[in-house]
Amino acid sequence: MNATAVEKRQIAWVVDLNKCIGCQTCSVACKVLWTREDSEKAQWWCSVNTLPGEGTPRGWEDMGGGYDKDGKLSPGKQPTPGDFGGGFDFNHEEVFYGGSGGKVHLEPQAPRKDRWAMNWDEDQGAGEWPNSYYFYMPRLCNHCTKPACVESCPSKAMYKRDDGLVLRDESVCKGSKKCMAACPYKKIYFNEERNVAQHCIGCFPRIEKGVAPACVRQCPGRAVFIGWLDEVGSPVNRLVNDYKVALPLHPEYGTRPNVFYIPPFSPHPLKDDMSIDTETPRIPPEYLESLFGSEVHQALDTMKNEMEKVRGGGSSDLMKTLIAYKWLEMLGPFTTDPAELTSDA
Amino acid sequence: MDAVPKTDPIYTGWEDLYRKKWQWDDVFWGSHCVDCYPGSCPMRVYVKDGIVWREEQAGSFKTIEEGVPDFNPMGCQKGASWSQSLYGPDRLMYPLKRVGERGEGKWNRVTWDEALEDIADSCLDAIQKYGPHTIVREGTPEYSTVHATMKFMGVLGGGDIDLGGSINDFSIGLYETFGKFSPVSSADDWFHSELVLIWHMNPVFTRIPFYHFIAEARYNGAEVVNISPDVNPSHTHADYQVPINGATDPAFGLAIVQVILDEGIADYEFIREQTDLGFLVRSDTKRYLRETDVTGSGREDQLYQWDPDKGLMLADRGDMRLKGLKIALEGEFDVKLADGSTVKVRPVCAALKEHLDANYTPEKQQPITSVHPDTIRMLARKVATKRTNIMLGYNACKFYHGDLIERAMCLVLAVSGNWGKQGTGIRCWASGMHEGHFIAQEKPAPGAQAAAAVIAARDAEFQAFKDKDPTATTEIAIRDSIRLDEKRVLTPIPALWWYNHCGYGERWRTKEWGDESLPRGFQDYMDEAMEKGWWRSPPLDPPQVLIECGGNMLRRTRGGKKALLDTLWPQLQKIVTIDFRVSQTALYADYVLPAAQHYEKIGFSIPTPHVMNLNLSDKSAEPAGESKNEWDIYLGLLMKIVERGKARGMTEYELSGSESSGSEVALGGASFDTILTGNTRSLDELIPLYTMGGYYQSEDGGVDEEKLIDEGVRDSVLCGTLPYGTTLDSIRESGPVRFIDFGVTGMGSAQASPVEPDKTHVPFRNHTESGHPFPTYARRAQFYIDHDWFLEANEHMPTHKPNPKAGGDYPLGMTSGHNRWSIHAMNQANEVILGTHRGEPNVMVNPDDAKARGVKDDDLVRVFNDVGDFKVRVKIAPNVQPGQVITYNGWAGFQYTGWSGANEAEPGMVKWIGFAADYGHLNYFPLEWQPVPVSRWTRCDFEKVEAA
Repeated sequence: MNATAVEKRQIAWVVDLNKCIGCQTCSVACKVLWTREDSEKAQWWCSVNTLPGEGTPRGWEDMGGGYDKDGKLSPGKQPTPGDFGGGFDFNHEEVFYGGSGGKVHLEPQAPRKDRWAMNWDEDQGAGEWPNSYYFYMPRLCNHCTKPACVESCPSKAMYKRDDGLVLRDESVCKGSKKCMAACPYKKIYFNEERNVAQHCIGCFPRIEKGVAPACVRQCPGRAVFIGWLDEVGSPVNRLVNDYKVALPLHPEYGTRPNVFYIPPFSPHPLKDDMSIDTETPRIPPEYLESLFGSEVHQALDTMKNEMEKVRGGGSSDLMKTLIAYKWLEMLGPFTTDPAELTSDA
Repeated sequence: MDAVPKTDPIYTGWEDLYRKKWQWDDVFWGSHCVDCYPGSCPMRVYVKDGIVWREEQAGSFKTIEEGVPDFNPMGCQKGASWSQSLYGPDRLMYPLKRVGERGEGKWNRVTWDEALEDIADSCLDAIQKYGPHTIVREGTPEYSTVHATMKFMGVLGGGDIDLGGSINDFSIGLYETFGKFSPVSSADDWFHSELVLIWHMNPVFTRIPFYHFIAEARYNGAEVVNISPDVNPSHTHADYQVPINGATDPAFGLAIVQVILDEGIADYEFIREQTDLGFLVRSDTKRYLRETDVTGSGREDQLYQWDPDKGLMLADRGDMRLKGLKIALEGEFDVKLADGSTVKVRPVCAALKEHLDANYTPEKQQPITSVHPDTIRMLARKVATKRTNIMLGYNACKFYHGDLIERAMCLVLAVSGNWGKQGTGIRCWASGMHEGHFIAQEKPAPGAQAAAAVIAARDAEFQAFKDKDPTATTEIAIRDSIRLDEKRVLTPIPALWWYNHCGYGERWRTKEWGDESLPRGFQDYMDEAMEKGWWRSPPLDPPQVLIECGGNMLRRTRGGKKALLDTLWPQLQKIVTIDFRVSQTALYADYVLPAAQHYEKIGFSIPTPHVMNLNLSDKSAEPAGESKNEWDIYLGLLMKIVERGKARGMTEYELSGSESSGSEVALGGASFDTILTGNTRSLDELIPLYTMGGYYQSEDGGVDEEKLIDEGVRDSVLCGTLPYGTTLDSIRESGPVRFIDFGVTGMGSAQASPVEPDKTHVPFRNHTESGHPFPTYARRAQFYIDHDWFLEANEHMPTHKPNPKAGGDYPLGMTSGHNRWSIHAMNQANEVILGTHRGEPNVMVNPDDAKARGVKDDDLVRVFNDVGDFKVRVKIAPNVQPGQVITYNGWAGFQYTGWSGANEAEPGMVKWIGFAADYGHLNYFPLEWQPVPVSRWTRCDFEKVEAA
C-alpha cells in the first residue's frame, strides 16, 4: 500500500431505490461470475431484500458491529450459517428419474424449522392492507472508507486498495471470522471448505480493465451508478455531494460506507373511507430515518421538489441525471464493453 | 478520466486468482429464444474450453430517439443465469423411453435410432388408421422451436392446434374494439407518457428489462397509477395505489368515462373520427341503422352518421377523417326506411351516456369496486388532459368477463383521445416482421428469385382484395387474405379440441360457474354456433400422437392433469416431448427427446414491436450430450417415417386437409399453394419438402442451420422488413439490427404505423394520422356491437358484470400473474434462481385470512374448490387484499406435492361469447378471434395440512 494519499481515490456506488425493482439481476450476475463453487453456494455477495424485513442474514440490523461514538470497534454478532440460510440442495434426480411417480416433488433438502434464505421475506413488507408498504434494497460490501473489518482482522489479511476497494488476501486469512462480526452490514460470508471469509471484491478484475462491476453493468433497472466519488461533475459525485440525495445506509455505524442510496418515495396511503390521503406518506418517515439518518428528510424533499418542477413543465438537472438518457453515463469511467476485450483479460 | 488509478494496482499473488477467474476464449451473440415475451435481450455469451461459461447483457443499443433513454442494458436475472440451466440438473442429454407407467418416472436411455423408429411407427399407425391429422401439436410461441415444428407438421399434414387459445394470451376486448388485439408500443415509447395506468399488469415482475422506462417517465414528469386488488410489487414506484375489488374493473373504467363525458372534457373530435360513437342506432331494435334498412339494398355493414347541417350521412368505410363533417354525438333523429316506415335513431354516444349516467357514476361504482368517487374524478381529469398509457398485461383477458374489462379500458382511451400518438395507447402482444424466416422455409426453391415470386404472389392477393373492396386498406386486405388462407387449412381451435377430446363441456355447462344472467345455457350457444357453421367442425377421430416441442401442456392447461390425464392421455398412442429440459409434460410422456438449448444452435429471439430488433442467438457451443437441434430431430423422424412406411409397402397417404397451421399464416407464413398439390402425400416428397429439395440438407445428413437462417435473413431484406445488405454474417459482425418495416404479417400490419429510424414506435398512427379505418365490422374502434348474442347478453355496449363463481361458492378469489423468477416454468429448476426465493412454490395470503384458518407463514395448506385441489406453502403478506389468494403462474407441477399445481383447481371456463361469429371481425382469425379459457378469480378456500 505505498501509493500516496493524493493518488488514492474511492470508487462509490449510488443506488436509486426509486428505480430498483427487486429483480435480483445484480445478485445473480455476481453469483454466476464469482461464487459458483459448491462451497460458495450460500454466498450472495450482492443481494436484494424487501424492506422492511429481516433480510439477509436474518435480522442483520440488530447484530451490531462498526464503531462506537468514540471511534472504537463496537462489538458485533458473528452471523451463523443459519442466519444466512439458503444454499439448499435439491432432489432433481430423485424427482425426475427416481420412479416416485409424483410421490416426491422438487423441494429444498433442508430442515423446515427456522428455515431462511437470502430473499426469504420477499414482498412481505409491513403495514396493513390497503396501506401496506415495502420497497427493494440491493446490498453489497460498502467498501467503507473506515472499514471495521480491516481493523478487526487479527491476521492482517484485509486491506483497502488505492481504488478504495476493500479486499482480503485469502492466502493470509486464517478464518478467524472477526471481520464477519465487525462488519455492521453483515455482508461477509464464510467458506467452511477453504476456511476463509469471502465478500464482494468490487469486481476489481473488471475495474482494472475499465469495465463496470457486474452488479452495475447488468442492472436492467438502470438503478445503479458507479464512479470516483471525488470526480467533480460525475453523477456519483453530484448525487452524493451536490444534491445530497444519495445517502449511506446506517451512517451511525461509523464506517463511512461508499454505497449510497437515493431513498424511496411511496404512493399515498388511503384513509378509512378509501379516499386518498395526499398529506401523509405511505412509508413512515421515521422508518426511513432509521435507515438513512435524519438527512433522509432533506433528500426526499429535494427529490420531491425537483419532480414537481418537472411536472410543472420545468427542467431539472437532478431528474435528468437520474433518467440517465445514455446508459454509459451511469458507469462513470468504467464504460469498456467486456466483449471487446481480448481473451487474455 | 482514467478508469484505473494512476498508481499501478498492487498485484499480489492472491488477486491474480480472481483475475484468472475472469477469463474466456470466445464471445458470441446470444439471447433466449423462448416465449419470454417480449424478451429479445441482446446478450454476449462467454465460452471457455468449448463450454458456455457465463453470459452478460450486450448493452449494445444505440440511442433511437434523442431525448429518450436507450434500451441498455436490457436483461434480467433469468437471462443472466441461463448458462446455469444449460448444464444444470434439469437439462436433457439423452433420448429417454418410459419403462414404467406414464408418469411413474421410470426411464431407460435409448438411442436416437430406437426412439425415432418407434415414434415413426406410431405416426404411420395414426396415418393408416385415421389420417395424419391425428398427429397433433398444440401451438406454442417458443420461438426457437416453432419453425421446425410447424414445418414438420406442415409437411406431414399433422394437426396443428391454434396457439391463441392454447396459451390464452389473447386480449379479447381489445379485439372486439379494434378488430385486432396487437397494438404494441416500443417500450421506449413509455417514456413519452404523462400518465401511466398500470392496470392488470405487474411490470415490476414481468417487464424487468423495460421497467426503467416507467421510472424514467416519472422523472420526466409523468404520474404513475397502480390499479390492483393487492398492493402488488408495481406499487413501489407509483404515485397512486388504487386498491380495487377483484374483477370489478369495468365499473371502475366506465365511471372514469362517465366523468369525462359528464364534465365535457372529452376529446370530441377524436371520438367522432376514430370511434363508432357517432354512428346511429335504431331505438326500436337497438341495432345499427344499416344501408339495407334505408335503401332496401346495399351493404349490411354500411352504417350511418348524422351531420346537424346535412342530416343522414353514410359513414365512410374507407376513410375515418371527418373532412369537415360535424358528426352528432347527441340527439334523436327520425329516419325514413325503405319500407316506408320511420324510426327514431340516435348516436351510440347518446345511448352510451344514458347507460353510464344510469349505472356508473363515481358514486354508483363505489359499492362495486370500493374505489372512492374522488379518486375516480381525479383520475378522469388526469386522463382527459394527459398523454395516457394503459399498461395492460395478459391478465385481464384471463378473467371470465375480461373482454368487458378491456372494452372499458379502450373506452377510457377513446374518450380522452389517447391512441396513435407517442406516450399513449394500451399494450398487448405482437410478433412478426421477420417474414423471411417463413418464406425461406416455404418458397419452392432457394434464392432471391423464388422469394420474390412468393412475395409478388402475396402482394397480388392483397391487391385482389383491395380491388374487390376499394375501401379496404392494405391492413384490411391482409386480414381478409389470412382469413381466406385459414379456410384452406384445418387448424383445430383449442376450445373445440378440448371440448371434443378432453371433456371440458361438462365444466363449461356448469351454470353457476358461468354467466347466470344469460337467458340460455352454454350448450345452447355452442350448438347454435356449430349449427350455423360459425366454426368448422374438426374431425372427431381420437388424437393418436402428441408432439410437445417447446410447449408444456400439462402445466399450462387450465384444469391440468385432472382434466387431461383421464381423457386425452388414454387416447394417445404416443406422447413425445422434445425439449432441452425436464418439463411437467415430459414426466408424463412416452419419449423425451433432448433438444439443443438456445446457446447451442442458431436462432433468433421473438421479434416484437416492443424492441423492434432482430436479435441473433448464435451457436456458442456444441449441443450437450446427445441433444440435437429440433430441425435435425424432425428430419430424422421424417427419414424414419419414409423408411418404415416403405417397409409397410406404403408409397403415399391421404392428407386430411390439414396443410399448415393458421397460426403460421398469421405470423407470417406465405401461401402454401406453391408447394402443395393434390390431396395425397407421397413418402418420397416428405424429405424434399422439408429440406427444400435437399438445399437445406447438410453433408452429415442433418439440416444446415447456417444456410437456413441466412436465407431467412436475406428473404426478410427482400420483404422490406430488414435493411438492405443484412445477412447472418452482418448481424454477427454488427449485432442486432432494427427492423425498418412491420411487413405484412397479421400482427405486424396491425401496428398500423410506419417505422421511423429515429422515433419510438406507437401503433395506430395510420388510423389517427391518415384516417385508415379499423378492421372492424363498423370500420371504427367499435364500442357498440349489435351481434345477436351481444344484445341478448346485454353486452352490446361496454358494461359491468359480476365475476361468476367458477369453482364453486367459496369465500376466496384466486388471482395470478407471471412471477418474477421464471419464464413460464423454465428456470424453475435452475439452482441459482431457486436461491433467489424460498426455493419452492407458495400462495400469498392476507394475515387475517391466514389467522382465521389457524395458518402461519410457511405452513403447508390445501387450496381447494369443487374443481380440484393442490397443496402448497403459505406466504403471509399484508399486501394481499383480504379475500384474495395469489398463486403466481409458472411454478412447475413437479414442485408441488403429488406433482399437482394450481391449475388443478382451475376449471378452464370459456366465455360463451368467444363462439360468436358471422359479424365482421367477429369471425375466426388465427391466433386471435376464438374462445379462450380463463382462470383468474376462481373461487377457492384453503386449510392447514401441516405446520412449518
